[in-house]
Order: sequence, then C-alpha cells, then structure tokens
Amino acid sequence: MKNLRLKAARAALDMSQQQLADAVGVSRQTINAIEKGDYNPTIKLCVAICRRLGKTLDELFWEG
Amino acid sequence: MHFDERQELARGKAFQYGFFTLIITAYAYGASDMIFGRWCDALVGVTICLAVSMCVFAVTCILKDAYLSLREKPRTVMTMFALLAAINLGFGAMYAVSGDLVEDGVLTFRAVNPIIGVLVLVILVVYIVNHLLCSREEEAE
Repeated sequence: MKNLRLKAARAALDMSQQQLADAVGVSRQTINAIEKGDYNPTIKLCVAICRRLGKTLDELFWEG
Repeated sequence: MHFDERQELARGKAFQYGFFTLIITAYAYGASDMIFGRWCDALVGVTICLAVSMCVFAVTCILKDAYLSLREKPRTVMTMFALLAAINLGFGAMYAVSGDLVEDGVLTFRAVNPIIGVLVLVILVVYIVNHLLCSREEEAE
C-alpha cells in the first residue's frame, strides 16, 4: 500500500526524495520504495524519517 | 562499503540466487564434460560457472538498486568496468586471431579473458540501461 502521508510530509517541507534519503542515510530508491509501499522499513529507519520530518510514527506509519 | 537496510536485504536475496545458479552451472558443466567429453580446460569450466552465477548476482542487485554502496560513485565504477571489459575482450580477440583460444577442439585457459570481458560487459550494459530507466522514473516523479 502506498505511503502517501510520508510523501505529503516530505513535500510539505519541500524536500526531494534524495534530500530525505541523505538526511536519514539511505539511498533515494529506498525512500521511493517506502513511498510506493514496495518496502517495509525497520522501526529504526521509521524513527529516523519521523525525526527528520518532525512527525510521529503514528502520523506517518500507523494504518489505523 | 555501506549499504542501507533495503539494499542489504536485496543483496542477500541476490546472493541466494547466485549461489543456486553456481550449483546448477557446476553440475551442468560436470554433466557436459561427462556426456560430450573434455570440451574446455577445467579452469575455463570453473570460470564459466562463476561468471554465470556472478552475473545473476550482479543483475539481481542492479535491478533492485543494490549493486553499488551509498559511498561509491557510479561513474567511476562504471568507467573502470568499461576499461576492464575492453582489456579482457581485447585479449580475447587477440587470442582468437592467433588461434590460441581453441587447441584440438578444446577451449584453452586463454578463454578466461573473453569470459570475464563478457561478464563485465553484461553488468555494465544492465547497469546503464537500468540507470537510464530510473532517470526517467525520477523525472516523472
């Protein structure tokens, strides 16, 4: 399932996939795969992404 | 070498494919040697098996964007690959012209060069094609 909330949060900060990837220490393709729902990230990476985007895990990754 | 978690996972899977390919090619080589008789030097046979399995590993990694680590520069690595392919294929062509590649119907150890050349060339071509396709995807994003 696509993670549109992550994409929206990134876009709100006017960040490219590459900028987010560099900030959390992964490749651009990994961020792309997470947004497309092709890759399920570890909790460690989820936390790093949340910290960088200033969001909580619930806001970005919880499918309530 | 620094790969991220998705790349590590993809490389693990690619390694698995490469390993099973190596088993299959080694058996196929052994069987062909038994059925058709000696058609190449043992070193060439082993090199073919390794080249095919390494090709499977590399192509799988490339398709999953996990071939180069985060710190490696694609342009540098691919330039080196192009050079490596050219040198090995050059040696292969030289041996083929001088007739040293095949002796008494048996592929000699000199065939190792062109085999490595082809392997590196395949990796290079797949990388470039994949890179071009990904660039288009990136532009469309």
